[in-house]
Amino acid sequence: MTESDTTSERSSMDDVIDIYKRDVDRTLLREHLKMTVEQRFERFLALMKFLEELRAAGKSARTHQ
Amino acid sequence: MTDYAGLLKALTEGGVEFILIGGMAAAFHGSIRSTADVDVVYRRTPENMQRLAGSLSRIHPSLRGAPPGLPFRFDVRTIQQGLNFTLSTDLGPVDLLGEVVGGGTYEALLPHTSIGNVVGVECRCVELDTLIHLKRAAGRPKDLEALAELEALREERQGR
Repeated sequence: MTESDTTSERSSMDDVIDIYKRDVDRTLLREHLKMTVEQRFERFLALMKFLEELRAAGKSARTHQ
Repeated sequence: MTDYAGLLKALTEGGVEFILIGGMAAAFHGSIRSTADVDVVYRRTPENMQRLAGSLSRIHPSLRGAPPGLPFRFDVRTIQQGLNFTLSTDLGPVDLLGEVVGGGTYEALLPHTSIGNVVGVECRCVELDTLIHLKRAAGRPKDLEALAELEALREERQGR
């Protein structure tokens, strides 16, 4: 099972993906690919924790408005 | 917040045979996007369904989005009669797929996986090419931006 099994012809999905791809920050991806998998997941967990704290802060701010 | 390691440990320590797909698999391959849940394809053998039911019973699974109080028992019979389950647990949301669009069953996906350390837990993860294939097959608009990143990751790995 490979991608070419189902995508031998370009579809409208490819066009949309190509448009999104223009905005992918490849410098960030390259930095990420230099890391070990363990380091990537440390960063992933830190991001998820930060997002959770941000959500909680936003919720708290809204309830005190 | 989802306890990703706790969820994966619950499965691995219970001896459940599963393959990690979705956002966690994407993170494994270098994605910088966030994901709130854990998506796995589980093996639908009687023994594995027994292990799956036993492992999750400790973290109190319930049907995600179902009305509060709706009776639900996640046991072997439920797993046998269903296929794909979107669950909430004490440790966070988990999607259990008996089959995945574009990839089929655990057995069909198995040759396209590798074992890696995911948030400190050794588990089987779908390969990048197959992850892209699965997301394309799902064809969900919400996946298109993620697909762009995964394809960019593949190009970066190939030095393009």
